[in-house]
Amino acid sequence: MKIIILNGNPDADNIKFDNYLRDLSDSLESDNHTTNILKLREMNIKYCIGCFGCWLKTPGQCIFKDDSQAICREVINSDFVLFAAPLVMGFPSAVLKIAMDKLIPLLLPYIELVNNKECHHEKRYDKKYPLIGLLIEREDDTDSEDIKIVSDIFSRFAIDFKSSLCFVKETNIPVQEVSDEINSI
Amino acid sequence: MKLTVFNGSPRGKRSNTTILLEHFLKGFMETEGNSYKLKYIVNNKNEKKIIEIFKDANNIILAFPLYTDCMPGIVKSFIDSLKPLCKNKDNPSIGFIVQSGFPEAYHSRFVERYLEKLAKRLNCQYIGCIVKGGIEGTRMMPHFMTKKIFNSFYELGKAYGKSGKFDQTLLNRLAKPEHLSALMRLFYNFGRLFGIVNAYWDKQLKDNDAFEKRFDKPYIMINSFRE
Repeated sequence: MKIIILNGNPDADNIKFDNYLRDLSDSLESDNHTTNILKLREMNIKYCIGCFGCWLKTPGQCIFKDDSQAICREVINSDFVLFAAPLVMGFPSAVLKIAMDKLIPLLLPYIELVNNKECHHEKRYDKKYPLIGLLIEREDDTDSEDIKIVSDIFSRFAIDFKSSLCFVKETNIPVQEVSDEINSI
Repeated sequence: MKLTVFNGSPRGKRSNTTILLEHFLKGFMETEGNSYKLKYIVNNKNEKKIIEIFKDANNIILAFPLYTDCMPGIVKSFIDSLKPLCKNKDNPSIGFIVQSGFPEAYHSRFVERYLEKLAKRLNCQYIGCIVKGGIEGTRMMPHFMTKKIFNSFYELGKAYGKSGKFDQTLLNRLAKPEHLSALMRLFYNFGRLFGIVNAYWDKQLKDNDAFEKRFDKPYIMINSFRE
């Protein structure tokens, strides 16, 4: 599979987190996957201002020529996207959420009923959208309720993005376990 | 009652969130002696200053539009900057307003759970969360249709200004529809067939001379990565 890892670690001093992703990437490469880690904190990403320009002015592209264009290109052409970030205040870091907001050019403004039940935007590309996984680092006060809330929100995000959430894992388990999980997809 | 309002719309002052807040605050000011301060998160350049404003407030309302079924990125940045305040015991009370484009309130229920937990994390008394869907569409709605929504925000603000609480009956009424009813789904499918549902977007696409490009796929790669 072609795998994109969105590294949402906001803190360059948190070497442990970056190393975990590097080890995971190495492990996946040795299983013949193609991986690419995008270090979001070092990229130039203007937050989404909700202008809808990517739907109504330059369809499919953000009107700001920032690194989110490269992220969209990588994501839509991959088979699997791992969203990875430390939790901050009970939710993945802001740098990851800012990048997630900038994926809406991959959708159309048009609205459809998913499962003839609820409103969502239609997909822009005909291809199968990448599956997603979530990898988080706990905070000192993280409890099972936090994990449940974050998991449920990412499941909703997956519906928005014509995908499904394959797993939520924490960085307190061996890298091999996450890599096995991805291999089982 | 002294209130500090954080408007979390990435569109800033020219936003649907601003319009809803105006009605809420009009109601809030009906109680004599009430006053408020309004801050736009999008204009915030100074993290230390915003922490000070939060810490010094008695009561806070944080309002934002739903982005990918959650808070917008800039609102998450704002929340992350509050981390040093978690250890304080005397943080202000906090209530939230979440508005979305899709008509169903259900889309906002997940972030609502996060916000309640966030209040707990910050040792803030949790006032509640006002949820309203279908707000993007108010831009093209006739006055008589939006009047009802705006009046509910006014009433919620008025009750909050008096009691410091969100009226649960008003919250439930405003949130409707929680899900699309069978009839609404039927109308939707019917409307889609005749191009009524998406006319809002098509008109803007045509105005922007972008209608022919509406299905553009700029990032597609011809060669598959699969080996």
